[in-house]
Amino acid sequence: MPWPARALARTVLLMAAASVVIFLCTAALPGDAADVLGGGRAAPGELARLRAEQGLDRPLHARYLDWVTGVLTGDPGVSLITGRPIGELVAQRAGVTITLAVAALAVSVPVTAALAWAAARGPRWLRHPANAAVVAGAALPQAVVAAALVAWLSAAWGLFPPVSMLPAGEPAWSRPDLLVLPVLTLALPIAAYGAALLRGAIADVVARPYVRDAELRGLPPATIALRYVLPMIAAPATRLFAVTLGGLVAGTAVAETLFGLAGLGELLVTAISTRDVPVVQSVALLAAAVVVAGLAAADAPRRRRETARP
Amino acid sequence: MHTQLRRRSAAVVTAVALLAGCSATAPGASPAATGTATVRYAAPGSPSNAVTDPHGLLPGESDVVRMALTYDVLTVPGADGTTKPRLATGWRPDATLTRWRITIRGDATFSDGRPVKAADALFSLRRMGKKAAENFGRMAMFDLDASATIDDTTFELVTRKPYAEVGKALEGATFVVPEGSDDFGKPVPGSGPFRPTDKGGAQAVVFERNDDWWGPEPPARTIEVRAVPDPQARAQALLSGQVDLAGGVPATLAKQQEGNSAVRLLRRPGATLYPLVMRMDTKPFDDLRVRRAVRLALDRQQLLDTVFLGYGEVGNDLITPKDPTSPATLQQRTRDLAQARKLMSEAGLADGVDLTLHTTTAYPGMDSAATLIAQQLAGIGMRVKVAVEPADTYFSAVYARKPFYISYLGGIPFLDVVRVALTPGSPTNETAWKDRTWSAELDKALAEPDDTERHALLGDLQARLRDQGGYAIWALSDRLDLARAGLSGVPEGIGFASAFIDQVSLDG
Repeated sequence: MPWPARALARTVLLMAAASVVIFLCTAALPGDAADVLGGGRAAPGELARLRAEQGLDRPLHARYLDWVTGVLTGDPGVSLITGRPIGELVAQRAGVTITLAVAALAVSVPVTAALAWAAARGPRWLRHPANAAVVAGAALPQAVVAAALVAWLSAAWGLFPPVSMLPAGEPAWSRPDLLVLPVLTLALPIAAYGAALLRGAIADVVARPYVRDAELRGLPPATIALRYVLPMIAAPATRLFAVTLGGLVAGTAVAETLFGLAGLGELLVTAISTRDVPVVQSVALLAAAVVVAGLAAADAPRRRRETARP
Repeated sequence: MHTQLRRRSAAVVTAVALLAGCSATAPGASPAATGTATVRYAAPGSPSNAVTDPHGLLPGESDVVRMALTYDVLTVPGADGTTKPRLATGWRPDATLTRWRITIRGDATFSDGRPVKAADALFSLRRMGKKAAENFGRMAMFDLDASATIDDTTFELVTRKPYAEVGKALEGATFVVPEGSDDFGKPVPGSGPFRPTDKGGAQAVVFERNDDWWGPEPPARTIEVRAVPDPQARAQALLSGQVDLAGGVPATLAKQQEGNSAVRLLRRPGATLYPLVMRMDTKPFDDLRVRRAVRLALDRQQLLDTVFLGYGEVGNDLITPKDPTSPATLQQRTRDLAQARKLMSEAGLADGVDLTLHTTTAYPGMDSAATLIAQQLAGIGMRVKVAVEPADTYFSAVYARKPFYISYLGGIPFLDVVRVALTPGSPTNETAWKDRTWSAELDKALAEPDDTERHALLGDLQARLRDQGGYAIWALSDRLDLARAGLSGVPEGIGFASAFIDQVSLDG
C-alpha cells in the first residue's frame, strides 16, 4: 500500500478506536442525564419514561451505531439536558477555545524551546534553575498557576483583570487584555511539560560527535541550535505539538471556569458532570480528531522522504 | 475525573481569594466609571447548561432569570412571600375549592404579535404537567385534562382535591408560551418584559427591552445575563467593573468588601438551608428520642459562624422558616447536652452509636457543616464518620437513599417541600415521614377557605414536623449578592422572587 493510503487507513482506524473508547468511557459513568433532569426528586416511573424518551434504555451497541451514524452524516444530535443542537453549542464556543489554544501555543513554543535549551545546554549557572523551573512548572496544576498569576499580575500589579467577561457577541480576540491571564495559565505548564520531554532529546543530540565537532570549530551557538540540533528534534517536537494542540481543545476547562469564559473545555466538563453523553462524545471526538490529524501531519515529511527513496 | 477537577479548582479558588485579599483592589476597581443603559448580571449557572425550555429543569439561577425576562408568569411571590398577580389578574374558586377561575390580562402580546390568550396559559400548564419529572411535579395538584378554556382571558383550573393555595401553586415557574409550541431547541416567542437576542453567543444572553410590555416600563434598555459557574469569578467580575450585579458571592469575599463604597452588599435572609436528614425508618433514627437528642446536641451558633461565616441566622428546625405560614412564636431551640444524653440513654444508646454522615462539595460549606456536626454529635456519644460524596451524583445516589446526610433547600415554599419530600409513599420522601394523621390534616388545612385560619393550621403542621420529623435545621444562610453602588431595582426576597430583575436600573 502506498504511503498516503496507509496514512489514511491508519487515521481512520485511530479515529474508530478513539470513538469506541470515548463511547465506552461515557457509558461507564455512574448515573445518567435522566437522574440529573429529575434533580434527585423524581419517581422511578417518571425517570424510566424520561430514559425511554432519550433513548437511554436502548442497548449499548444500538446507541453507539446511532451516534456514529449521526457524526458521519454531520448531525451529532442534541444535548440531553438543554435540547439544543450540539453543532450549535460547539460552534458558539469554538472561537474562544481556538483563540486560547492558538495563543497558548504561540506563547508556549518559544518558552518551551528556551527552557529546554537552558536546561540541557544553557550556561552552567542557568542549568539548575532552568531544570527546577521545568520540574516545578510541569508538576503545578493549572489552577495553582492561575491563582498565582491573578495574585501577582492582577491583584498586586494591577496589569490585567482577574476574570475575563468577554464582551457579548464580539470575537474573543477583540479584548486581548482579557486573554492574557487565561493564556498564560494554559501556556506556562504546557511549556514546562514540553521542555521536560524535549530536554532529554536535546541532551542526546548535543552529545553527538558532529555537534561537538561544530562546537570545536567555533560555530556560534545559535547556528548549532538551528542547523544541527533542531532538525534532529523536529519529529518529537512536532508530535508533542500535535498532542498538545489536541489536549488544548478539550483541556481548557480549568482556565475557562476560573476566568469565566464559555468555551469547549467548560462545555466538556459540565457535560460530563450532567451526564450529557452526546455532548461529551462530540467534544471528546473533536479533540481526538485534532490529535490524530496532528500526528498524521507530523509524520508526513518523514514518510515522504522514506517513500522517495529508491 | 470531574470531581477531582472540581475539588482542585475549589481549593484554588480559595487560594485566589486569600491571595487577592492580601493586596489592595483589583485593576479597574471603580465600577462607577462606565455609566451605560445596559445592566450586566453575572448569575450562578453554567453557560453549557443554558436551557431554552422554560417548563423542564431549570438547572441554574441564570436559567430562571432568563425565562423570567422572556416570558410572563401567572403569579409571582412577593418579597414577603405572599402571592402577587402578574399575567393572571385574578384566581377565584367555587365553593368546593376544586374549580378555580383564572383571569389573565387581555393586553399582553407575544413577540410575534399574537395576543396572549387563556388557551396559551392552559397549554403551558399542561406542558408543565407532561414534564413533571423535570420540574418536581409542580402541577401535581391539578387535573389538567379536566381543566378548560372559557374565553380569551379566562380558564378553569380543576384541582384533584380541595386546594386553597392555587395562587401560590402558579407562582414563579408558570412561564406562558404560545399554544402549540413544540420545538424548544431555541426560545419560542414570549410576552415578558425583555426579548432575548442571539447577539451574545455562548458568553452572554443579550436582552432588549420589550417596549410593548404591559407592565411598568423597565428602566434598562438592555440587560446582559451571563452564567458564571464559579462564585469567586462572579464576585471578581463585579469588583473589576465587568458586570453590574453578581449573584451568589462567597461570604469570605463579602466580608472583605464591607468598607468598599463602590459596591453594595445585598443580603437575602433565609435563602438557603442545609437540612440534616435523619431517615425515620432506619435505626437509630426510627426512635424519636434519638432524633430529639440530635437536635439538642447541635451548637447552631457555632455552625452558623463556621459554615456561613455568620451571614444568616440560627435555625429552629422549621423546614421553611421564611414561608408566610411558618410559625413565628416558637421558642428558639438551643444546645442542651445533658438532656440530649438522657434521651440517648433512654433510647438504649448510652454507649453511643456508629454512623456515617454523607455530604458533598456541591454547595459551599456543605462538607465543613458535616465535619462540624460530626464533632458536635460526639458530645452525645455518636461516632460519626463523614463521607464526602461526588458532587455530580449526589442527587441520584444520596438524596432519599441514604439514612443520614446533608440535604439542600433553596428558598422553597412549604407546600412545595411537602409535595416533594413529605408525602407518604412518595419515593422522594427523604426522611420517611409517614404520619397519616398529619397528611390528613394537611388536606383539611388546604380545604379551609379562610386565609387566617388556613395559615394557622399550616403553621401547626410545621410546628409538629419540627418536633416529630426527621429534619434538623441548624441555620439559614443569607444569599449574598454584590451590586455596583448605583444599581437599583434588584428584587428582594428569595427563590423565584429574586429572579424577576426587569426593573433593575443603573441610574440610582
